[in-house]
Amino acid sequence: MTGGYEAYLDADPVIITAALTGGVHGKEANPNLPETPEEIGHAAGKVEAAGASVVHLHARTPNGERSFETECFQEIDDAVRRHTDDIIIQHSTGGTGAPDDVRHQPLRTDPPPEMASLDMGPLNRYDHLTSENTRALVDSLHAEMVARGIKPELEVFNDGHLNELRGLLDRRDLAEPVYATLIFGPGTLTPPTPGNFLNAIDNLPEGALFNTLGFGRHQLPFATMGLLFGGHVRVGLEDNVYYQRGELAESNARLVERVVRLADELGRPVASTAEARDILGLEEL
Amino acid sequence: MACPYLEYRTAAGTQSFDHERAYCTAAETFVQPMRADICNDRYDLDHGQHCEIFRAHAEDE
Repeated sequence: MTGGYEAYLDADPVIITAALTGGVHGKEANPNLPETPEEIGHAAGKVEAAGASVVHLHARTPNGERSFETECFQEIDDAVRRHTDDIIIQHSTGGTGAPDDVRHQPLRTDPPPEMASLDMGPLNRYDHLTSENTRALVDSLHAEMVARGIKPELEVFNDGHLNELRGLLDRRDLAEPVYATLIFGPGTLTPPTPGNFLNAIDNLPEGALFNTLGFGRHQLPFATMGLLFGGHVRVGLEDNVYYQRGELAESNARLVERVVRLADELGRPVASTAEARDILGLEEL
Repeated sequence: MACPYLEYRTAAGTQSFDHERAYCTAAETFVQPMRADICNDRYDLDHGQHCEIFRAHAEDE
């Protein structure tokens, strides 16, 4: 792992990712969650102005339901580019219940996204469903990302996925730096405790960078820990629809503004999009 | 075939939307977009197999 408390002391810049929409809940959970391309584009402009350098995107149909179609992602990307100056676009390739070939479709926009998520293994959904994310799918998604010059964001939902990440590194050549998102929350996720956070970052491969994601009420404390231990941070309505207990967040931008204030107070400068590209090695892909 | 408990509505209770959204008449709530794919048996999903709400209500009837 690269970073750690030394990176905090060295005031390394922090990359803020805004997960605007997600693929699980929608406006039924928070009416401020953007679903249409125009809403997502507008939200991207606001989070970029607030300090985010990466937007993590899912696609929806007009009634808010999930879409994996390239055309839907293209429409969203076009809207994001209209509303932003230079933000890094990261597509989700997640998709519980979707066939493997469908999971590739978000990688096929023109131009391709600079980044895309790559789920490291299985996770349970509801009571009778598992998102499998087989090694074969992980490898085939990674191969297409390499072919299209897309940086994978390796999503580590639990500590077993740290083994899967190392297995991926054994099977395939990944461009450096390896960039992993450590995810904490209920269910299949790593239980959200400070001890588990420290354990996860200690078990990352040498040289890997990490992004920190806490679900629900864990978003703010885990973002803070990410800042303190030299990590990068993801916030947004995909992961947390509340601003504080009992109060729905007004927007993704409000969540980004709060973590920018935290970073400022803690002495971590917020990375510009150019700095984020440099940290992530995006120009070299 | 879609779940028999699925309806598309623009409003229910205190919630209203511009587009009709998936509503579960068994749970009496608008459902998450991910769950709506189960309700509609999209992709490899099957409400009879994957939805605990349908299964519980089917057992009760």
